[in-house]
Amino acid sequence: MIQHHLKKILTLAAMAALVACSDSNTKSTDADTAKSAEQNVPNQSAPVKTVLVFGDSLTAGYGLEDPEDDAYPSVLQQKIKEANLPYNVVNGGNSGETSAGGLSRIDWVLKRKVDVFVLELGANDGLRGVPVKTTTQNLQAIIDKVKDKYPDAKLVICGMQMPPSMGAAYTADYKAMFPKLAEKNHMALVPFLLENVGGIAKLNQADGIHPTKEGAKIVANNVWKVLKDVL
Amino acid sequence: MANTSTPIPSRKTSLGWLFKMALRDSRKNRSRLFLFVSSIILGIAALVAIYSFGYNLRNDINNQAATLIGADLVISGNKPVEKNIQPLLDSLGTERSQERSFGSMVLFTQSGNTRLVQIRALQGGYPYYGALETVPAQAAQQFKAGQYTLVDEALMLQYKAKVNDSLKIGNLTFIIAGALKQAPGQTGLAAGVAPVVYIPLQYLNKTGLVDKGSRINYSFYYKFDQDTDVDKLAEKLDTRLDKADLHYETIQTRKENTGRAFTDLNRFLSLVGFVALLLGCIGVASSTQIYVREKVASIAVLRCLGVKAFEAFLIYLIQIAGIGLIGSIIGAALGSAVQYLLPIVLKDFLPFEITVAISWLALGQGVVLGVIISILFALLSLISIRRISPLNTLRSAFEDSRPARDPLRWLVYGLIVAFIVLFAYIQLQSWPASAGFTVALLVAFFILWITALLLKRVVKLLVQGPWSYLVRQGFANLYRPNNQTTILMASIGLSTAFICLLVFMQSMLINQVKLSSSGNQPNLVLFDIQTNQEKGIVALTKQFKMPVLQQVPIVTMRLQTINGKSVNDYRKDTSRNSRRWAFGGEYRVSYRDSLTSSEKIIEGKWIGEARDATDIPVSLDDRTAKRLDIKLGDKLVFNVQGTPMTTVVASVRKVNWNQMGTNFRVLFPTGVLEEAPQFHVLLTHSKSAGQSAQYQEAVVRKYANVSAVDLGLVLTVLDEVLDKISYVIRFMSGFSIATGLIVLIASVRISKYQRIKESVLLRTLGGSRKQILWITAMEYLFLGTLSALTGIVLALAGSWMLAKYTFEIPYNVNYAPAIMMFTITAVLTIVIGLLNSRGVLNRPPLEILRSDI
Repeated sequence: MIQHHLKKILTLAAMAALVACSDSNTKSTDADTAKSAEQNVPNQSAPVKTVLVFGDSLTAGYGLEDPEDDAYPSVLQQKIKEANLPYNVVNGGNSGETSAGGLSRIDWVLKRKVDVFVLELGANDGLRGVPVKTTTQNLQAIIDKVKDKYPDAKLVICGMQMPPSMGAAYTADYKAMFPKLAEKNHMALVPFLLENVGGIAKLNQADGIHPTKEGAKIVANNVWKVLKDVL
Repeated sequence: MANTSTPIPSRKTSLGWLFKMALRDSRKNRSRLFLFVSSIILGIAALVAIYSFGYNLRNDINNQAATLIGADLVISGNKPVEKNIQPLLDSLGTERSQERSFGSMVLFTQSGNTRLVQIRALQGGYPYYGALETVPAQAAQQFKAGQYTLVDEALMLQYKAKVNDSLKIGNLTFIIAGALKQAPGQTGLAAGVAPVVYIPLQYLNKTGLVDKGSRINYSFYYKFDQDTDVDKLAEKLDTRLDKADLHYETIQTRKENTGRAFTDLNRFLSLVGFVALLLGCIGVASSTQIYVREKVASIAVLRCLGVKAFEAFLIYLIQIAGIGLIGSIIGAALGSAVQYLLPIVLKDFLPFEITVAISWLALGQGVVLGVIISILFALLSLISIRRISPLNTLRSAFEDSRPARDPLRWLVYGLIVAFIVLFAYIQLQSWPASAGFTVALLVAFFILWITALLLKRVVKLLVQGPWSYLVRQGFANLYRPNNQTTILMASIGLSTAFICLLVFMQSMLINQVKLSSSGNQPNLVLFDIQTNQEKGIVALTKQFKMPVLQQVPIVTMRLQTINGKSVNDYRKDTSRNSRRWAFGGEYRVSYRDSLTSSEKIIEGKWIGEARDATDIPVSLDDRTAKRLDIKLGDKLVFNVQGTPMTTVVASVRKVNWNQMGTNFRVLFPTGVLEEAPQFHVLLTHSKSAGQSAQYQEAVVRKYANVSAVDLGLVLTVLDEVLDKISYVIRFMSGFSIATGLIVLIASVRISKYQRIKESVLLRTLGGSRKQILWITAMEYLFLGTLSALTGIVLALAGSWMLAKYTFEIPYNVNYAPAIMMFTITAVLTIVIGLLNSRGVLNRPPLEILRSDI
């Protein structure tokens, strides 16, 4: 039974990580799996720039049948393609990741040149009740690292909210954290990543946390509204 | 059967007369008869007592298992219940409770600290099994009456909160009514992550925490009538529940998820039941065998007087059936009585109350078994008796009269085997298992029989002139006519084998249970430890004198290609569609230089360190390898956060996923992933809620991002169950061993009359007490030691097979009890043998010759 619990917990850890959002590596680094089509585009047209979506399971497309195609960063890629913009989207999502995990990982991910950095982290922090102060510090440190390495990179941050069941005081502080960070760092702000998705049963998977394929499309729209201007 | 050769004018056989004869014959020597019956009684008493204890204890454990879940049925989901299913939910069970649970940040108003907890808003009488254990005890009931709350003990210690302090949950402030020490677990995803806080459901809405977007788990707890088959019912509901996105859990499903302790216990009880069956058989069979053998002379006399062969056969069959029936009934009564006596005697040692109830199933089985086994084993001798000719009387009755083997014997053997298989099936509930056990038993019996045969041969060759008369005489008893070597070897050897088998299995299983009880197991899990925090946390753990039970790095990656083919290639290739899923999820991978105790390489070679080779040697678990159809040497490219890494499958591991700890589908060697983004998980064990609280407080103060999961609350309930299980295993094996010894004593004791005549003759011829004593001692010494030794060897082999194939646990035997059992059996055999001839030794020869012996 212990084992059982432990498994659950580890799964949980995993899930937690997943929760977060983002665009990450799945497709990432073009190298691999990312759709060949998109990759080819860059190869053909001259200078291809990279949009790195750095986040958690929301970005990674946790639980989707085909995260390669259906996670919101992939949807963004399609939109970029349709708009004929010279960008390649890299999915830097890592399921279960907290802001602290992201801080540890960022150096590794920044090895590749980043032109647009979309930050989608913090959801797991919130679900685990990590103090808002801690999350803020970690996110700030991540932003600092990006600025440090690629001073010219354009920055976007995705706002997140906690369910009301977490308690009004915490959810309010939590929600306020993202606009504050955006303002301080002159980042474009997606007000709420899961706008029109969060809390709507049919747009979420059975766990009630992760968007379905349909949900991911709406999430991509939310991001696109802000991202298209940045690009 | 009436086709005997004597051409006596036909006479009608009256059933009444047969019964009368059977009764008359038994009158001849009631004390001797009693000795035989006593062996049957003890055998059946052992069987009935063990069966009854087994049934009752199984029930006790099942009841205990119920406390893990707290209700007969739990239905839960993470959405508000749809209207169409509500009537169903309201109609189930005899008692209902409901609960809403969710994570929320609460404020300890006194200290000003905020903390994530799991709120459980409860309504109704849940838990129906077990209890919410609180300090003070009455808080568990009282908190439902007002704006009160129960708070996890460790959490209260961590935040230095006291009873009657207040706790702000949402918009409401609750008074802490008590500290929660133990609660039936909910293993849902939400459990475990955060400490538990109970509130009455009626205040939930006022907290304002339930609103659009709130993530709430809805649970419904049901208690049913005792005779409702909840599992069946739940299965029937499954489709409807599934449609409504609800799932269910019953006591049975929880047990299955709880790991192997319950299964092990069940298997052990089956084993004990089987052993009891055999003990019963030994008790009954050895006595009927000897009894019938002694009747040969009387049968011959009856035959001289004109009794037909089949009549003689029937007379003794009736007699033995009667003896078997009486013995079995007395035995069954005795076995049931022991149940009532034992708990009184052992009162001070019993850690929990044993339910005592007459088990009619056990009683019935005992009586039926006693009668059938006595008849079958009597038949074995009786069918040859059909051929005893009257001439036998005139010749020496001491001669072994062994008529040619009767083909009917094989029929009887077959019946005995079939019968044992059948009864084993009742115990084990599985045909292959009972066939297996029966075959094992036959093999054991065969080995003992061969040993006895060899012994007789060897001794015959060895015993020679120069030896002292006493030794020669003692040894000669082993092979001379009227020897008891085979029968005693079989009964002593088998009883010893069973007793040792139980001793061995018991200690192995107890070790196993101990392993999974929380004593040595992690009850505190820290995760999301970042690499730069790892050292600090380990140091902190040591500072608290807590063990670092496991410390694993976890790297998340995706599978990019298999042998150069990507998901797109597989998508096109529909025939190999099964591989597509492999690309979908993320892989949580760890790296280390060695395997853990829960892993075993089944193919290839484990490589713990990546040298400069271009391809990194990785290890896959066998299930993943099978599902992906990946062979040794296949090349997998993993995408580690943007960096592709080419690996080659160097080994396939079998992973015991049940074993406590963290296990991985894919394992990397050291020297590759050290720099990759990763987090660490640390498993440790805290001795008390207080220690856990202080430790967590220290960790969180220094490393705010690290999440600690305290399993203490859930594990307390589990530990209690495991304690009981290990106690039941010890009790049942102890009890079976004791009864086994008694049966063994009884079966040696019935050999009393075998040697009396000879001893008397020796006395008459001038043998001294001392000489006779020596001769007897020699014979029994040899029998005792050799059969005990054979029995122990059999037990070693048997326990190895059981450990490997049935229980699937590591074989590891403690030889001390084996040596002890050897000594005990040998000494017991000699002592009883000597006691058997005491009557002859203490009285003058003439007295003995005159009295009917």
